[in-house]
Amino acid sequence: MTRLRLALSLFLSVSPTVRLFGQDVDRLAVRFAGMTAVTGLERAMTDSLTALLPGSTRDRVGNVTLTLGQGEPKRLLSCPLDEVGYVVGNILPDGFLLLRRVGGARITYPLFDQQLEGHRVTVFGSRGAVPGVAAVKSTHLARGRGTSGSPDPVFTVDNAYVDVGASSAADVRGLGIAAMAPVSLAKHPHAYGDRLLAAPAAGRRAACAALAAAVQAKPKVRGTVVVAFTVQSLYTGDAGLASVKALLGPFAETKTASVAARYVDTAVETVALQDAEALAQGLVAWMEASP
Amino acid sequence: MKATTLALALLPVSVVPSLRGLAAQDPPAIRDAQQVLSRLVETYGVSGTEGPVRDQVKALLPTWAKAETDTAGNLWVRVGQGNPVVVFVAHLDEIGFRVTGIRDDGSLELETRGGFYPSLFEAQPALVHADKGDVPGVFIPRDSAFTRHTPPSLRVDVGTTSKEATMARGVSPGNTITMPKQYVRLAGTRATGRSFDDRVGSAAQLLALRRLNRTVLKHQVIFIWSVREEIGLDGAAVAARALGTTPRRVHAIDTFVSADSPLELSNFGVAPIGRGAVARALDNSSVTPRAYVDSLVRVARARGVALQVGTTNGGNDGSVFTPYGVVDVPIGWPLRYSHSPAEVIDLKDVVSLADMIRAVAETW
Repeated sequence: MTRLRLALSLFLSVSPTVRLFGQDVDRLAVRFAGMTAVTGLERAMTDSLTALLPGSTRDRVGNVTLTLGQGEPKRLLSCPLDEVGYVVGNILPDGFLLLRRVGGARITYPLFDQQLEGHRVTVFGSRGAVPGVAAVKSTHLARGRGTSGSPDPVFTVDNAYVDVGASSAADVRGLGIAAMAPVSLAKHPHAYGDRLLAAPAAGRRAACAALAAAVQAKPKVRGTVVVAFTVQSLYTGDAGLASVKALLGPFAETKTASVAARYVDTAVETVALQDAEALAQGLVAWMEASP
Repeated sequence: MKATTLALALLPVSVVPSLRGLAAQDPPAIRDAQQVLSRLVETYGVSGTEGPVRDQVKALLPTWAKAETDTAGNLWVRVGQGNPVVVFVAHLDEIGFRVTGIRDDGSLELETRGGFYPSLFEAQPALVHADKGDVPGVFIPRDSAFTRHTPPSLRVDVGTTSKEATMARGVSPGNTITMPKQYVRLAGTRATGRSFDDRVGSAAQLLALRRLNRTVLKHQVIFIWSVREEIGLDGAAVAARALGTTPRRVHAIDTFVSADSPLELSNFGVAPIGRGAVARALDNSSVTPRAYVDSLVRVARARGVALQVGTTNGGNDGSVFTPYGVVDVPIGWPLRYSHSPAEVIDLKDVVSLADMIRAVAETW
């Protein structure tokens, strides 16, 4: 923990205006990390957010916003909720699905797509979530077929064949799956160590959890704070945040919630929930502080 | 929040859209197969540490069965009397890792147990099967690399920063490591999970025993659930040595690795999933005499059991019986994506395999 963060924690822990809500942050972080919000296709997660936060609404772009307090100054507090993911690009006659990636220009992990290979995925069809797997060559059948030093190129989305157990394209359609159905790795938030949480996009989800927990703490806001859970941060610019500013601004000050993560962009992106809790406390303090 | 509270918070999101609810619409044979198989699949047992799986098999045996465990750890059930003795053998173990050392930074050094692509574990959740319970962690992703299936040696982070802290969590060299796994139903009668190889074989032997008509047996039949198959057929070798030349035939009940995937070549391994058990007529460890393959096909036809015939790769436990003059007639079931975290089967094949075992035991 950095000195600054330690000092902030100590200050917050003795401040009478700060609610201690570690369990809320943990619970929300785990819940959010289990959700899927492929950039541009975040509807399911925004539905959950509007249900979670009374008074919140979804704007025309899909952002979930909530206005706290009144008067001046008017400030913006946001977190991006979307993630790099996939959609069904094609359905083959034998029932396998092909994918295209959505977002990803800022991915730092060189094997991002390869994390699909040989792993469970979830396809979000019109009739609900459908489990599947991304095909991988059988270890046994590869034996004796390659030679030492032969190319072993990194897996890309172009190599992804998704198997949902269907035998035909008609079977796939019967499951409610069509082109553009969102696809992600199956989400199983994984706790380890001392309040560490591992999951795809765990950093973003923990930050949004901290923001949601801060709102639920009912801060005594000075002026007006627009809280925004923004969409499409990972596709063609930060369209969601830009639209919030255009529709609800101008803002005297803006702040984006974020939590440090390690193993970024992997299936085990890890955050310390202690950091998320400290962030939530800091966000409450920011909303309550005089500008 | 304490770790235990966090674990409780994790429970609801761990409930995946498994489609297990479809089981209510399944025919009884499919339902039974799923009930037995899912319990075995969701139990961990890397080669050399098969105890939990063996215990599950024992718990699922019919009440009349008398099970014995030999010095190697193989589980035996003998049924009927007289010669020629026939042996069925399915293996209990699964592929995984073993801890070889703990670094000063608290991370674990590993070695593989069995053959698989280590990259399939990279950047995934990990479970260290320690003496006092599972310790969660993560397989550390490589910083950069441009090869696919052969990452630098994998390590596991259990969330500590020192060797002492890791050891304080109960982790020690020799512990085995896997990743969390779950049996998940796919569309139709298909399912995915890890370690179907060879929990399907183990389940099929159990299902066959449950339905076996012991009054019609013409000779002794021995069912063995073996250990350490994935690291060299070790358990089966002990059993074969113990039985010597006594058995007439051995039926290894193990995976038929299928080329039923758009990624595979189709010059062998041709046995689509969902079309029944497979006479594994040729693999890397054994060739079944043609007359025995023909006899197996006749048994299947007489009982109306779906049976395919094919050749695939891999070895089987029955092959270590052949030096004693025992004929190896392996029977498999088609599997997609072998030794991966996302193996795929069709439950109809599990039923077919169990029916085949029962038919062979009762009539051949």
